[in-house]
Amino acid sequence: MIVVVGISHKTAPLEVREKFSANAEVLPVLLARLAARPELSEVMFVSTCNRVEVVARSRTPGEEACLLAVNAAREVLREHAGNVRDFDAYMYDRTGEEAVRHVFRVAASLDSMVLGEPQILGQVKEAYEAAMGAGTLRGPLGRCVHRAFTVAKRVRTETQIGVGTVSISSVAVDLARRIFGGLDQSTVLLVGAGEMAEAAAKALGKGAKSMRVVNRSVERAAELAAHFGASAAPLDALEEELVHADVVVTSTGSPHFIVTKDLVKRVMRARRGRTLFFIDIAVPRNVDPRIDEVDNVFLFNVDDLEKEVAEGQKARHGELARAEIIVDEELKGFLAWVRGLKVQPLVVGLRAKTRGVLVSELERTLAGRLKHLPEADRAALLQMMESATNKLLHTPLSRLKEAAASDDDEQLAQALATAFDIEPREEEVDSAPSGASEVAEPSGSAPSAEAERVTH
Amino acid sequence: MSSFWVDALFLAIAALYFGASTLFILFLMGRQHATDPSAPENEVRPLAPRLMALAAVLHGVHIVVFSLALHICPVEGIHFPLSVVAMLMGLAYIAMRRRYRIDAVGAFVAPLALATLLASRFVGGGALAPTTRMKSAVLPFHVTMNLLGVALFSLASASAILYLVQERRLKQKRLHGVFQRLPPLDALDRAEHRFLLAGFPLLTLGILSGTLWAVRLDADTAADLVRAGFGYGTWVLFAAVLLLRAALGWRGRRAAYGTLAGFGFAMVVLLLYLLRGKSGTVS
Repeated sequence: MIVVVGISHKTAPLEVREKFSANAEVLPVLLARLAARPELSEVMFVSTCNRVEVVARSRTPGEEACLLAVNAAREVLREHAGNVRDFDAYMYDRTGEEAVRHVFRVAASLDSMVLGEPQILGQVKEAYEAAMGAGTLRGPLGRCVHRAFTVAKRVRTETQIGVGTVSISSVAVDLARRIFGGLDQSTVLLVGAGEMAEAAAKALGKGAKSMRVVNRSVERAAELAAHFGASAAPLDALEEELVHADVVVTSTGSPHFIVTKDLVKRVMRARRGRTLFFIDIAVPRNVDPRIDEVDNVFLFNVDDLEKEVAEGQKARHGELARAEIIVDEELKGFLAWVRGLKVQPLVVGLRAKTRGVLVSELERTLAGRLKHLPEADRAALLQMMESATNKLLHTPLSRLKEAAASDDDEQLAQALATAFDIEPREEEVDSAPSGASEVAEPSGSAPSAEAERVTH
Repeated sequence: MSSFWVDALFLAIAALYFGASTLFILFLMGRQHATDPSAPENEVRPLAPRLMALAAVLHGVHIVVFSLALHICPVEGIHFPLSVVAMLMGLAYIAMRRRYRIDAVGAFVAPLALATLLASRFVGGGALAPTTRMKSAVLPFHVTMNLLGVALFSLASASAILYLVQERRLKQKRLHGVFQRLPPLDALDRAEHRFLLAGFPLLTLGILSGTLWAVRLDADTAADLVRAGFGYGTWVLFAAVLLLRAALGWRGRRAAYGTLAGFGFAMVVLLLYLLRGKSGTVS
C-alpha cells in the first residue's frame, strides 16, 4: 500500500519546514536510510520550499503494514529534522487511495501555495530520478509517480490553471517597485550563484542600475556575473556589498543565517538609513527574520512571496474543479491497474501450469518418437507450444483482468484457481509481481510507453 | 462683483475640490494591476489632478476677488489664511505630483483643501476689519511665510502618513486590499523630505518676523507666549528632523513621526491664531 508522510506549507511554517529540507548531498543518505527500513519496499523523498514528504510503499499489504510504514517514515523524518517541538502537530499522512490522489495533486500543482505553478512538477521529477538512481523505486510506486506526471501534463494542457502564472520573481520585482519606485536607480545584490540566483538575475537584473553577485565560490559568482553583465565578489565581502546594495536576493544552500540582525544594523549605520530590501528565497533561510525589526529594512521570504503570489491568483481557483476531475479520472485508472496486480499470481500460476504441462508433454515426445528431429525443428515446435499457450489462455486471462479492474474478480479467480488447481500465495497479492507482469496499465490517457513491465 | 457671484465661485471651487477628492480616493482604494505595477490603470486618471488644478486656480481668483471686494489683505483676518493655505497646498501638490510620483497623496490633499476651504467660510464668521496694527508690512510678511510653510508642511505630513501606512503594509506583508496604489515608499520619503526642506526656510522667516513683530508690539500675554512657544517648538522639531536625517540618516519612519509631530505643533499655532481671531482680540 502506498503511503505519504510529510509536512507542507499547509501544516508548518517556513521555520519548521526548513529543518526537514534535504539538499542534494543529504538526499541519498535519507533514501538509503528509508530503504533500509524493513517496513518499506519502495521510497521517494520530495523536498521543496513548500513541502517535505516521504512517499513510500509498505512491504506488505494491509492496514497494519501500512501503519508500520507510516511510523517508519515518521521516525526517519524525526531523526532527520532533529529537535522539532510539536513534531506530530506538523506532520500529516495519507494512505492507500488518498496517498495516490495526494501524489497526483502535488505533481499537478493543485496542492501548491501558488496554484498551477510549474516548478513543482520539475521538483517531483528530480525526486523521482534521485529515487530511481538510488534504486529505491522499482515497482508500483514508481508507476504511481510516473502516472502523476501524466496527470500534471493533462491538468496543464486541459485546464487554464497555469495560465498567466505570476512567478515569485515577478512578485519580487513588484515589491521592489513598491519600495523604490523602480529598479533603474537600484543596485541588486545576489547572494549565492545557483539556479535560483540565476532566475532572480533574469527577473531583476534587466531593469536594475547595476548588479553584483557574491558567492562562496568566486569562480561560480564570476561565471553568473559575466552572463548578466554584473560584477562578482567573494562571500567574505558581503558586509561591504550590503552597504552599496538596494535589493538583496539570498539563495545560498547555507544551513545557517548568513545575514544576521547585527550585521544588518552595522550595514544600516554605514548606509545612513537608506532603505534595504531583502528577498530570501533560500530554504533553509539565509536571512535572520529579526532583521525586519530594523528601521528601513524590509524582508520577504519564500512564504511571504508565495502568499503574495497566491493572493493575486485567486481567480485561478475556478479551474481547480476541472483539474480535480482529471485527478479523479487518472486515479480511477491507476487503481484499476493496481487491482489488476491482485490477480497477477493467479495469471502467472495459470500460465506456468499450462506451459509446464504442454512443454513436459512435448519434451517426452521429442525424447521418444521424434528424437530424430534436428534442433531447428525442435525449436520451432517449442515456439508453437508457446503460441498455443498464449492463445489458449488469452480469453480467460483477459476476462480475469477485466473482472479485476472492476474489482469483481473474486468468483472468477476462485473458479480458475480451483479448475486448474492453483493456490496463489497470499503474500503475493497486492504486491508487485515478480518477473514479467501480465498486467498492462489500463488504456485511456496513459501513454503506451508506460506499459513497461513492472519488476520487483 | 456681487456677493452672488462670489458665492457661486466659492461653491464651484468646493464642487471641484469635492470631485477631485472623490476621484483621488477612488483611485487610492482601487486594485493595482495584478502583474504590472507600471500599467496605465495604476496611475490616477488625468481628470482628478485637472479638477484639482482648476479648483486651486479658481480658489486663487476667489481670494483675490474677495479681498478686493472687502479691501483687505488676503493674509489678514481669520478665514482668509485658511483659504490661502488650502489654495497653496493644492497648487504645490499639482506642481510636484508628477515629479515626486505621489498621485495617491491627492487623496489626502484634495479633501484637506476642501475642508480648509469650507472652514474658511464658517470659522470666525467673516473677515476681520483691518486694524492699525496690521498696517505694518511685517505682519503680512510673517503670516504669508507661515502660511506657505504650513501648506508645504501639510503636504509633507500627508506624505508622512502615507509613508507610515505603506511601511506598515510592507512590514506586515499585507499588500492586498485597499491602498494598493500607494506611492513607492522611497518616493513618499523623498517627497516628505523635499516638502520639509522647502517649508523650513519659510517657517524660519515666519518665526524671525514673528519674533520681531512681537518685540515691536511688546506682546507678552499668556496667549502670545503659548503661541510663540508652540511656534518655536514647531521650528525646533522640523529642524531636528532635517538635521538628524542629514547627520545620522534618520529617515523613513522616524522622519515621518518627527514630521507629524512638527505638523501637530504647527496646527496648534494655527488653531491658537484662529481662536485669538475669533475672540476678536487682535494683539
